[in-house]
Parts: sequence; C-alpha cells; structure tokens
Amino acid sequence: MSTVQPHVPDVSIEDRLYTVKYRDAGESHLGIKNADVCTDCTTNECEQVCPAAVWTVEEGSNGVPSIAYENCLECGTCRFGCPSDNVEWTYPKTGGGVVFKQG
Amino acid sequence: MSADGAESGELKQPTLQSETPDYNDAYDAIVVGAGLAGTAAALTMAREGLDVLLLERGPAPGTKNVFGGVLYTPTIRELVDIDDAPMERYIAEKRFSMLTSDGDETAVSIRPGAWHDEPHNDSYTVLRRRFDEWFAKQAVEAGATLVTETTVTGVLRDGQTIVGVETDRPNGELRAPVVVLAEGANSLVSEAADLKERPDREDVAVSVKEVFKLDRETIDDRFRLDGDAGAAYHYFGEGAVGQAVGGGFVYTNKRTISVGIAYRIEDAAQGQTPEETLDAFESHPAVAPLIRGARRTEYAAHVIPEGGAKAMPDLVHDGAVVVGDAAGLVLNSGVHLEGTNMAVESGYHAGKAIAAALEDDRSDESALVAYPRDLEQSFVVENLRHYDWFQGTIADDRQFLFEDLPRALADAETEYFKMDRTSKDEHTDAARDRLLEAAGGWFGAAKRAWRFRRMLS
Ligand SMILES: Cc1cc2nc3c(=O)[nH]c(=O)nc-3n(C[C@H](O)[C@H](O)[C@H](O)COP(=O)(O)OP(=O)(O)OC[C@H]3O[C@@H](n4cnc5c(N)ncnc54)[C@H](O)[C@@H]3O)c2cc1C
Ligand code: SF4
Ligand code: SF4
Repeated sequence: MSTVQPHVPDVSIEDRLYTVKYRDAGESHLGIKNADVCTDCTTNECEQVCPAAVWTVEEGSNGVPSIAYENCLECGTCRFGCPSDNVEWTYPKTGGGVVFKQG
Repeated sequence: MSADGAESGELKQPTLQSETPDYNDAYDAIVVGAGLAGTAAALTMAREGLDVLLLERGPAPGTKNVFGGVLYTPTIRELVDIDDAPMERYIAEKRFSMLTSDGDETAVSIRPGAWHDEPHNDSYTVLRRRFDEWFAKQAVEAGATLVTETTVTGVLRDGQTIVGVETDRPNGELRAPVVVLAEGANSLVSEAADLKERPDREDVAVSVKEVFKLDRETIDDRFRLDGDAGAAYHYFGEGAVGQAVGGGFVYTNKRTISVGIAYRIEDAAQGQTPEETLDAFESHPAVAPLIRGARRTEYAAHVIPEGGAKAMPDLVHDGAVVVGDAAGLVLNSGVHLEGTNMAVESGYHAGKAIAAALEDDRSDESALVAYPRDLEQSFVVENLRHYDWFQGTIADDRQFLFEDLPRALADAETEYFKMDRTSKDEHTDAARDRLLEAAGGWFGAAKRAWRFRRMLS
C-alpha cells in the first residue's frame, strides 16, 4: 500500500485541447446517420469513448448528441465506439481540422 | 530543413484545378496517404523509375499523424540515409513495469551495452510531424510528386478494376493503373470501396498521448541517460490502464517526453474514458515524478488496429493494393507495439511488386501477387501470426494479469525483502505462496505458464 500523493496538477479537457492547433474547416465533418437510433440509444458510447469531449448528450436533446466538431482530434475512436455504426465520419475538407506539431 | 516545402510550391506540384491539363494516366501509380507505408511505397516506385503521385490530406505529411514514439528502422535504413533524419533519441533502455492501483511498481529493465552501438538495435524515438515530412521529402527527391491538402474521397472503377481515385479538389478525378491505399487505421476509402470490412470494435484500441516539455538535462537525469541515448518505458496492470486491456508508455525525446496509454475501445465504451484513464496513469506514483514540473505541449489521440493476422484483409485487388495500418499490419502483443516497421516493409514490397507488374503492362490482381507473397515471407506476417493467440488470451485472463498478478508480485517482493527477525527462508516461502495463490495454486500456475509460454518464445 502506498500513501504517495499524485504530483500531477489537475488538468481539464479545455487545458488539454488548448495545446492543440486547428484549421477550422468551417463545417462539421462528423454527423449522425439516423437520429432515431440515437434516441433509442441508452448507452451513449460515442460520448464515453471520445478523448476530446466532442460528443455530448444534453438534457432535452431527445438523446441525440451534439457534436463540437471543432475540437475533434480525428482519432477515429467514435466511428468504432458507436455500437450501432451510427456515426457519420468523414475527413475535414481540404486539409482542415487538427494540425499536430509533434504527433 | 524546410518545414513547408510541400506548401511553398518548391515541389513539383500539379494544382488539379480546372485550368490544369488532363492528368489522367499521367502517373503510373497513385498513393493515398503520405504516412510511413505510403511514403515507403512511393519512394520505392520512384526509384524503380515510375511516375508516382503521393496524395496527403494534411497541410504537410505528418500533420495528422500520431503514434507513441519508437520508430523501428531495419527496412527504412535500407531505403534512406537516416543519418540526416530528424531522430530524437536512440533507445538505450527498455523497461517493463507492472503497476497496481495502490501505487506499487515492479519493473524489469534492460540496458544492453550493444544498443549504444549503431544502428542502435534499429529503435529510435521520433516525432511524427517532423519525421514524416522528412521521409516524404526523400520520396520527392527520388522523383515522386507530392500533393498535400487533398483528401481522397473514393476510388474509380471500370467494372471490378480500380482505375483511379476521386479527390475533394475541383475536377479532382485522377486515373492511374495502380492505386496504393496507405490511409492508415481509419481507412475510409478502402472500406467504402469494399476492399476491407470495418474492423470490429474489439479489434481496435484507442490511444491518447501527451507531449511534455522539460529541459534536456532534467530528462537525462531522471531517466539516467547520456548524449543521444533514450528510454522506452512500458507499463501494465491496473495502475496503468485500470480494468482495461492495454498499457501505458513513457518515451524520451530530446527535449520532450511522450506519455500515453492505449487500450481497447470496447473497454472505453463500457465506461472507462480515455481522459480519466490518462489522468490516473499520469498521477501514478511511478509515473508522476517523471513528468513533474513539465509543461504540456500537445494532446493527441489515434486509433490502433490490433486484430492481428486474422483481421488482415485481402492485400491485392485488380488495380489496387492495401498497405500499412489500412491492412491492419500492427503487432500489439502487450510486450511489443510495432507498426512503423510493418508499414515501411509493406510499402516497400508493394512498391517492388507494382514496378514489376507495370513492366509487363499489367496491374490485375494476379500480376500483383508478389506483394502478399513477399510480405507473407517477411517478418510482418510471421510475427502477426505468432501473436494472433495473444489478444484473446489476454482478454480472458485480464483479472489475473492486470490485477491479481501485479498485486501478488508487489506483495511477494515486499515479503521477500522484508527486514525483520524471521529467517530469509520463511520469507521466501511466504513470497512463493503469495504468488502461487494468485496464480490459482500449482495447477493454475502450470496452466497459465502453458498458455503464456509463447509470449517469450
Ligand atoms: C498512439 C499510438 C502509438 C503507437 N506506437 C508505436 C510505436 O511506438 N512504435 C511503432 O512501431 N508503432 C507504433 N504505433 C503504430 C504506428 O504508428 C502505425 O502502425 C504506423 O504509423 C502506420 O503507418 P501508415 O503509413 O500505415 O499509416 P499512418 O501513419 O496513419 O498514415 C496514413 C496517412 O494517410 C493520410 N490519409 C488518410 N486518409 C487519407 C485520404 N482519404 N486522402 C489522403 N490522405 C489520407 C493521413 O493523413 C496519414 O498521413 C502506434 C500507433 C498509435 C496510434
Ligand atoms: S452515436 Fe451511437 S453511441 Fe452515440 S448516441 Fe447515437 S447511437 Fe448511441
Ligand atoms: S474522431 Fe476522436 S476526437 Fe474526433 S469526435 Fe471521434 S472520438 Fe472524438
């Protein structure tokens, strides 16, 4: 058993995303194929798996997630994470989107 | 090095605009994606005298690419002079640690003296942004044409035969006898063209990574390094990725360190989110002191295919080949995480096979079979087959591997080295009992040893 305390200061997703460079493509490259499927979905795995907090199922949204595509890291996880294959995933137009400076 | 070579127009670059001449069949081959696999293929074909078009969706090669950190160089070193490449450090030490969620760490560390000698066991940390751009430049210098900011949106067919690609440029259709699909793990084009199926969720991992800035001396001191020597630390157990199947990593670059985790999307979907898992790993007492005082410079994420040989799609089609991550060529056995060497190897064999086929004016599937045949005979498919059993075994035994075993090891060590007035013999017996108990007694231990015997063979 250890009593060592963590040394890492708390970090929020905003702090993390602040380190990332983007070129806004102006329109969302992510979407939902069929809103009814999301309405029936109780697990919201898209929200669970996304490391950039892009997907949020808000109160009163009828279960359909909102998509903050501007924060997307283009990792691809949500495309596999949705068990109903209901995520519409394309690449941002003409080189838009995330630009890693280190990778 | 010109970071913006691809953008400044210094490279030979058709604009693909409406006023441009007809580029159909101006190229012998079109490569989709300037990652390691695509660039290796383009470079190989250009050296064989082919006119190659290398298409990349990012503003420059590497801007969209993320990996953990170690580039394996056996094949790339044959293709290009890596002395000029933007390497960070060579790997002088590999460390494997078991972490419990209570803060225990049990580590095995290897620092063979031979790794200090070139070619340093063919293992170097790199940052993909810089490396991929440099590598693509070598392909351009060999004669390939690189066009960036161009996303391939589909393939063109004539009957069953693939005869070119569709891009998001105005009038962006381009025809060529062969298309190389090197688009990486998120292979939208190959899937839409029915060249492969979308991998199952169980066969894909999510990885999140952060790069932390520290000064060089601090890194050298913390990791006991000297000069260009670097370290690759791998972590397993509940303290690394919680209840999930996967692991954590810490790699040293020159003035930064890369810290991350990779585990099955399946586990993330069941409630263990990537961000929380990364937080827990970075706060673990074994990891936190390594990054203390460092500044975060980049947060990144990417999927990793880990279906192994059984999930590999057909590699050749009439007019097309699939290489690298798009073909699922990643070895993720727990102890090994290798995809860079497989990407380069597959691009190289594909490039050779295409050049030979075009020599006979052919590009049908049977003319391209040298590619899968050569890959089959290389380490790539052999290693993938060898470890195919692993993912399932690990998933079945995760409670033991990730929780019980690390804890038992920590307890056994504590027992074994305990300083009191009991004899060493008694402590040794107690330590052994503790391990046996975790493994399920003598029979359980024997069964497990048998199951995992191939891991180190
Ligand atoms: C987090 C993480 C850690 C890893 N750690 C290691 C490690 O330490 N060592 C190791 O050997 N391997 C590691 N791997 C695996 C390794 O990174 C990959 O196997 C390797 O990068 C695959 O190369 P690739 O060329 O096939 O694909 P990628 O490197 O992904 O390249 C694909 C390229 O295609 C482009 N592209 C995609 N679609 C299109 C399109 N439609 N049109 C135009 N361009 C397109 C992309 O922008 C990209 O440049 C890791 C992977 C991850 C994700
Ligand atoms: S995208 Fe998939 S996981 Fe997300 S709410 Fe819709 S159906 Fe559920
Ligand atoms: S691609 Fe990755 S970062 Fe983007 S929305 Fe999907 S899971 Fe989130």
